[in-house]
Amino acid sequence: MGASVKKKKEKKKDFQKPKLKVGKARPKNTNATDTSFAAKSVVFKQQSLSETGRDSNALFQHNLSLLSSKNETQRRDSLAYLTTVCSAQQGSKLPQPPSVIVAKAQPLILDGNLQVRQQVVKLLRSLALEELGSLDSLILYARAGMVHLSKDICATALDVLDWLLSTAPSAVVSSAGGWVKTLRAFQNLLSWHGDANGITTRGVDGKWSNTKSSSNLGGGKLLVHQLTTLSRLLVAGLTRPSLDQEHKAAAEKAASLFPLCHTDAHMLPKKSNPYGYLNLFGASRDMESEVYEDPEQRAEVFNDLGMSEAFQYGVAEAKKEAGEVGRAAALVAKALKLADGA
Amino acid sequence: MKRKRGALEKVDADLPNLQHKIKTDPTSYQDEFINQYSQYQSLHELFLQSPTTTDDSGIIRLRDLIDFVSHVADCYPKITHAFPSELIGLLEKHHASLEAELRDKIVGSLVLLRKKELIDSAKLLNVLWPLLISTPSKSLRALLFQKIISDLRNSNAKTTNHKLNRMMQTTCYNMIASNPTSPKGLWSVKVTREMWKRQIWADAKAVSIMEVAALSKDAKVVTSGVKFFLGGDQEREEAADEDSDVEEGVDMSKLRHQAGINKKTGKRDKMLRAAAATVKRKERKKKAPHPLNFSALHLLHDPQGFAEKLFHQHLQPSQPQVKLNLDQKLIVLQLVSRLVGLHKLTLIPLYSYFIKYLTPRQPSVTSFLASLAQATHNLVPPDVLEPLIQKIANEFVSEAAAAQVASAGLNGIREICVRQPLTMNETLLQDLVQYRKSKDKGVQMAARGLLSLYREVGADMLKRRDRGKDAALKLRAGTGLGTRFGEVQGGEIEGLELLEKWKEEQGLDEEEDEEKGWDNWDAQSDDSGSSGGWINVESDGEEIDVSDSEDDKPKKPAKELPVEKARDSDKENAETTTKDASSTPAADRNTASLEPQEAVRREEARMSKLATTRILTPADFAKLQELKTAAAITSTMPSAKRRRIQQQQNSERHADDALTSADIEGLAKLSAKATKEEKIKMAKGEDDEKNDHRSTTARRKEKKAAKGQSTTNKEKARKKNFMMTLGKAKKKGKRSLMEHKKILKAHTDRSKRGGKRGNAGN
Repeated sequence: MGASVKKKKEKKKDFQKPKLKVGKARPKNTNATDTSFAAKSVVFKQQSLSETGRDSNALFQHNLSLLSSKNETQRRDSLAYLTTVCSAQQGSKLPQPPSVIVAKAQPLILDGNLQVRQQVVKLLRSLALEELGSLDSLILYARAGMVHLSKDICATALDVLDWLLSTAPSAVVSSAGGWVKTLRAFQNLLSWHGDANGITTRGVDGKWSNTKSSSNLGGGKLLVHQLTTLSRLLVAGLTRPSLDQEHKAAAEKAASLFPLCHTDAHMLPKKSNPYGYLNLFGASRDMESEVYEDPEQRAEVFNDLGMSEAFQYGVAEAKKEAGEVGRAAALVAKALKLADGA
Repeated sequence: MKRKRGALEKVDADLPNLQHKIKTDPTSYQDEFINQYSQYQSLHELFLQSPTTTDDSGIIRLRDLIDFVSHVADCYPKITHAFPSELIGLLEKHHASLEAELRDKIVGSLVLLRKKELIDSAKLLNVLWPLLISTPSKSLRALLFQKIISDLRNSNAKTTNHKLNRMMQTTCYNMIASNPTSPKGLWSVKVTREMWKRQIWADAKAVSIMEVAALSKDAKVVTSGVKFFLGGDQEREEAADEDSDVEEGVDMSKLRHQAGINKKTGKRDKMLRAAAATVKRKERKKKAPHPLNFSALHLLHDPQGFAEKLFHQHLQPSQPQVKLNLDQKLIVLQLVSRLVGLHKLTLIPLYSYFIKYLTPRQPSVTSFLASLAQATHNLVPPDVLEPLIQKIANEFVSEAAAAQVASAGLNGIREICVRQPLTMNETLLQDLVQYRKSKDKGVQMAARGLLSLYREVGADMLKRRDRGKDAALKLRAGTGLGTRFGEVQGGEIEGLELLEKWKEEQGLDEEEDEEKGWDNWDAQSDDSGSSGGWINVESDGEEIDVSDSEDDKPKKPAKELPVEKARDSDKENAETTTKDASSTPAADRNTASLEPQEAVRREEARMSKLATTRILTPADFAKLQELKTAAAITSTMPSAKRRRIQQQQNSERHADDALTSADIEGLAKLSAKATKEEKIKMAKGEDDEKNDHRSTTARRKEKKAAKGQSTTNKEKARKKNFMMTLGKAKKKGKRSLMEHKKILKAHTDRSKRGGKRGNAGN
């Protein structure tokens, strides 16, 4: 069989009628699934198809859920929405309690986007502090942000801490770890280890390393911010309520409830987790993460851990700086005197 | 402009950069580290408050921080002393709810901390092992298993870490032993098998883990334990072979050549030295004596008890505790029969167990036949086996049965009779032998196999005309009768008769010769002087009692052998030594191999003379070796060839090797008809050398190309473009004498160097 014959056959093949079989193809099963599509993802044009405008309650919920969105503009926008709603309905009831809002919003303190972080601070400021509940995790986030590698996030975290200190100073300093750990963080940030300490650590290792002053006074604006926040923290932690005021308040209360005494002890506690300081169910705490309830304890710990001297030394160094840094340091020095007085 | 703003807004959180800085100068960056560490602590605390929420939004996540801290933890051991235990706590409490990436990161970090020796192996394994058992996640299990194996390997890399191994083995053992019904024991089996394969665990303890696994009450654990005994050693050998194959990676001469050409830098120099060191290490490893690896079957503590338990627990009861399907039962049966055959155990109920499975309709009946043959040895009472053989003959071997069935049956009978010839009775044998007249090739061959077997072990049972010349002669001499039940053969030294013959021919005085032999040895050992550890025990062989307890009785004449061999090994004549060493296992093989009786009887008379009357000197062994090689050369003559091939086949299959269904089916292939596809393929001659009609050159060229070789210089010269050769041809006649001399000189120089580039070093 030559090549030409083969070709002819092939040509013929095109014109041959296909032989059809008798009968029909088997019908498809009723439960067959069509798997012929090739798309790997499903894209929606709109996220919601409902025609009617949503009521404010649903919208609030929706925005709250958008806080964990991957898109930063979306996060920012929903934060802005929440802020406006919260500041508008200051007195009246919010669709969700502030504690829920804070729980959702607090991770955004560490967000990478500057606008998102600014918006978070705004949102927090718009909330009524009385209904916030436990502040532990918020303080933890603030502390995590304070020591963040990024300076911008540090600044935001300090803003948050400032706000906390201005609105609920006692809650901050008497939370678990809120006193010593926060102070430690400041100590590290400012490199206030006291002079002797710094020299020995450098001497141990036989190697050369960067020489470093015993206080970290390189930064400008951030340093001022840190110092002022520190001074506020110290003031909040070490000021004790004046005895006169206390007595007066107690006397007034006793007079109003005259036949009863020690009423507080018999009432339901007003704050959440009232016996938290006993730490009945959590992991055992060390000295740093312990709860220090009153100013005397705090001052004692402050002195015992050797932070007092280190801070004194650091402040003395910082005070020599001119301008804002010096002024801020002076504030810290003033606050430190409270500890001395103890 | 827009892009620039984007860059400015980007936050500067560069943990890897900080990590690098810390590694180069830990003291200066201590503050930065403490900051990050305290951030880790805060995030850790937050995590503990609500373990289910994830923190994906931030730019630095908890897992980044964990990674960072674990990488530089060795720079600040005091600050991070609590870090490992925190990670362990995280993993132990929250492994089920942790997000996968964070979980894997924590596992990886723990291993990293182990590498930096901040925690020890025992602690790491104590964390990972319970996790491996308890976690529901498949990917985590895979990760943990890999990490556990690699950690065990690393800690055994330089020297065997006995303490760790013992701990791990005990854990594995207890896991199965304490809860035999749980399928979790599979992990112990897996770890043990992997360690066995890598020759890290090669002791009886590992085998005892597998023993307990094979006797457990979970089907999967049972089968994996049994499979280990059946295939673990083979796997180990293969892995060792692979390792030695991989080693051929570095070409030193090439590297040296490259170093000569490339720019010389300190780094390259170091690399070259490292490569040289690895090559040297490998060489040393290659030359090192082969580690003594006992097979798992030999390391069993109590084979009889083990086989009995396996049989009574998994095979015999009608309502077994473990439900095994047929395949699983088959491998258990394989193991039992292997144990019985190898250790010559007595397990009488096993044989009656076979009876109901010996029908052609039984699925995978050839495996049953193989197992039965395997379970047979010369100490099994023949009357136990006789009904089995009868049944096989009745069920399989008849004119009505298919050819494949008949050949499988005959083959099975043959394999049984090889191991216990006394099973066969005269009428049956004569009946079966007649199948050699069958038309089918497979049946024919199988029947012939049976015939040739009985010509050797029991010629008197055959009809006179079937016996053949050799067997008939032997029968007449009275030596061709088979062994009696329970008769045990003595051992021998291979080639001893050659030595004796040689001595007779030489007519040496025995006393004198012996003295000379020892003298010779003394001189040689003094030369080497490195024998150090050996106490010089003088030649009083009778007083030294060095006997392998096992081989003591049958090998009495060769008692002194080990001592002499040890001395021998000091000799500089390496070749002799290695061959000597190999001769003894070969002798062992012979005694253990399948058809020893005949050969041994032949030697008996002579052997008793030489080996029992005197001690063989090292000189004697040297001569023995020489004679053996000479004999091997003469045996390549065509007349001896057939016998030699047969002997080789016999010795190739060691008693340790398993008998598989493939051996039984082997001849059945001959009776199978070729399918249409096979026929077409054969007709077309695809990938068949016979039908390749191309020229020799073309075929050779293809082979070369397949090997990756190029053309020869000659070929290149032949193919060179004509125009390129013109210039030289023109000039060649007009060269001056000086020019010619120069060219010749260059040519010799080149050939001395080994080519233009001087690759003599290769």
